[in-house]
Amino acid sequence: MLKNTLFFAAMLIAPQLPLYAAGKEIKLGFISAFTGVFSAFGTQQKEGAVLALEEANYTAAGNKITVIYEDDQLDNEQAVTKAKKLVEQDKINVLTGLVSGDEGLSVGDYMKDKNMVVVPMYSASEDMTMRAFYPTIVRATWTGAQSMDVFGYWLAKVKGWKKIYAVGEDYSYPYNQGGGFKRGFFRGGGLEVTTVWHPVGTTMDFSSLIASIPANENYDAVLYNGSGGDAVNFVKQYVELGMLQKIPLIGQSNTFEKPDVESMPAEIVGSLSPHHTADDLATPAWTRFREAYTKRWGHDPSAASEFAYSSMRLILRGIEKQNGDTSDAAALAKAMTGVDLSDDPRGPVRLDPQYHSAIENVYLREVAKDDQGHLYNKGVWTIKDVSQFGPYDPQLYLKQPADSAQYPPDHPAEMPPQLLHSSSEYQYLPFGQ
Amino acid sequence: MNRDHRQTLRFLAATAGGALLVLLPFYAGPYTITTCVRIIYFGFLALSVGLLVGQAGMVSLTQTAFFGMTGYVLGLMGKERGLPFPWPDLAALGIVLVFALAFGLVSMRTHGIVFLMITLAFGQICWAFAQQNTSLLHGWAGIRGIRAPTVLGIDFKVPASFYWASLALFALSIFVLRLITRSSFGLALNGIRESPRRMAALGYPVYWIRVVAFLIAALYAGLGGLVATYYTGIITPTTIQLSRTIWVLLMVILGGSAYFWGPVVGTVIAVGLDVLVSSMTDRYNAVIGLVFVATVVFFPRGLLSITDRFGSRPGVGDSAKLLDHEAEIGKMG
Repeated sequence: MLKNTLFFAAMLIAPQLPLYAAGKEIKLGFISAFTGVFSAFGTQQKEGAVLALEEANYTAAGNKITVIYEDDQLDNEQAVTKAKKLVEQDKINVLTGLVSGDEGLSVGDYMKDKNMVVVPMYSASEDMTMRAFYPTIVRATWTGAQSMDVFGYWLAKVKGWKKIYAVGEDYSYPYNQGGGFKRGFFRGGGLEVTTVWHPVGTTMDFSSLIASIPANENYDAVLYNGSGGDAVNFVKQYVELGMLQKIPLIGQSNTFEKPDVESMPAEIVGSLSPHHTADDLATPAWTRFREAYTKRWGHDPSAASEFAYSSMRLILRGIEKQNGDTSDAAALAKAMTGVDLSDDPRGPVRLDPQYHSAIENVYLREVAKDDQGHLYNKGVWTIKDVSQFGPYDPQLYLKQPADSAQYPPDHPAEMPPQLLHSSSEYQYLPFGQ
Repeated sequence: MNRDHRQTLRFLAATAGGALLVLLPFYAGPYTITTCVRIIYFGFLALSVGLLVGQAGMVSLTQTAFFGMTGYVLGLMGKERGLPFPWPDLAALGIVLVFALAFGLVSMRTHGIVFLMITLAFGQICWAFAQQNTSLLHGWAGIRGIRAPTVLGIDFKVPASFYWASLALFALSIFVLRLITRSSFGLALNGIRESPRRMAALGYPVYWIRVVAFLIAALYAGLGGLVATYYTGIITPTTIQLSRTIWVLLMVILGGSAYFWGPVVGTVIAVGLDVLVSSMTDRYNAVIGLVFVATVVFFPRGLLSITDRFGSRPGVGDSAKLLDHEAEIGKMG
């Protein structure tokens, strides 16, 4: 009992040791998954953020910026605990990072009554800036459906495709990507998106799943709605089983992302996917970013690293706009929504003043092979100024249920008819214009 | 030192430790309170696993499912249906007991590795259901926005109040568990751990004793789930994933599963290490892993076996007590 008491006492006293730092500084908390399934995204995110900080010499408006990194292992309980640590112990001024959608929602829920600015990076859960929105969230990146609605609409309207067979990872981000795809595809005249889900990260052998795709029912394409190791396995086996000659393959935003695409077979050249970046963007902003990034980290940037870079610049510029005053979180968030991000590497980004989410370019890309034989995503079409609501009226969009494994349905007839009409049209511009 | 002196010393140490814990919000920072609440909710889970592993010799991988179950019921009935405290909480514990009974009736027919596998299966079914059911449990997103209630004018959303409430609940639960393990029921449980067949031959209803132990353990896991869900405000499938289950099992082994205080000490150390080491290095999982390995190598019976090496007076180390128990069981036979 005595020893037990001593154990307790030691544990209670240890965290009280002072960790004070001198001088005026602004502290950023950075929660991400540096270990676990999403560690690749987490690391790229950190690299992008560090690049932006180094370029700013870790200062904003004359104040020293320090960042405290915390790993949550992609476990939501850990994420909330780490957020508490950053708020309660480190007394941060702004919270950022966040890789997955559910991580973002969980941390966002805790931060709700903390009156502090939250800047999610790769976390794409649309509800953070929609149904669970609150005024101190600012997201300069994306939602799951944002790039996919554009893609689905184009496939149906321009390519004239009618039937898609979608195989997806069974969790919220692919639900949202698939949801955006279905809305766009049906609005463009598509007739059917047959949807199949498989558990995340546990299926190594997709042969039975691929064998069950009917080759003679006139499917125009198979959409693989997943990413990471699952995507590499699925694509490899899809090619090996000879399905690619029968039905073309298309992907969601992360399916053919670097570095995964480099492990995929060269046969997939020509496969389409949409994202807010393209590897061959030739704008001065992207070229400068890519060179700086490659010089600093020794490899090409990905969308996750670009999103982190641009989010970190948003934070720094917002702090500058407030002259280093972070005391009023609402004012800081408002200042951030007015920050000029027209020089963003991936293209000009604006923030919606109402829901604090990004209005930005979407690129339709195809997998291509460069001179050294490496696969990359080559831009084909540019669609400017796409918001998280796509072409829909925000009020109408928010009335619909959140995307799930069952919603939206597989056929347009079961869709709410108002969603098949939009209040605006996309402009598809040839890439590079 | 005679026995009276020891008793006085123990009493003083316990009082001082208790006072340190109760007065914590007055001298410690908010994150220390968060860490202590975290120790409390994982402590409940560790007690649950510890009761089964240490006292009854049943390695169960299903306790985190009960931990998450109360969280989900709290979210569904409290947050989404708006039922006032304490109804969602009572319903949550009730549902845990129903599930534990149903599962216990089946699984308690098995022993050893078969029991391990069946509990693994049940735990994984609950996890898979939680992450794939989007209509009720919202899949990966889980349920968010769960907040502690205001009872009798006390707002338990205030961390200090919540800490005191959970500390009181935890202390009471430890006290009750202590009574249970020292009762003839607890002794019978120890007997079953050592030799179920012999206990059956002695006329004990081995099956039912194990079922009741499983119910008690499930209740403790459920209580931990209530504390955790109120404090984090969310319940998602990652809370009940397999890595969490294994982590809790490791905590129990770290402290010493055969000791009554083993699970609690293991939780304090594991959560404490997590907090201290993760703020120093990104490789904290490796450090914590090494601590576990070192513990298993040097203290195969857990860290609390250190206490055996010092005072070898009867009644301190539970290994000594084990022998007592066996003797008593022998007498009872």
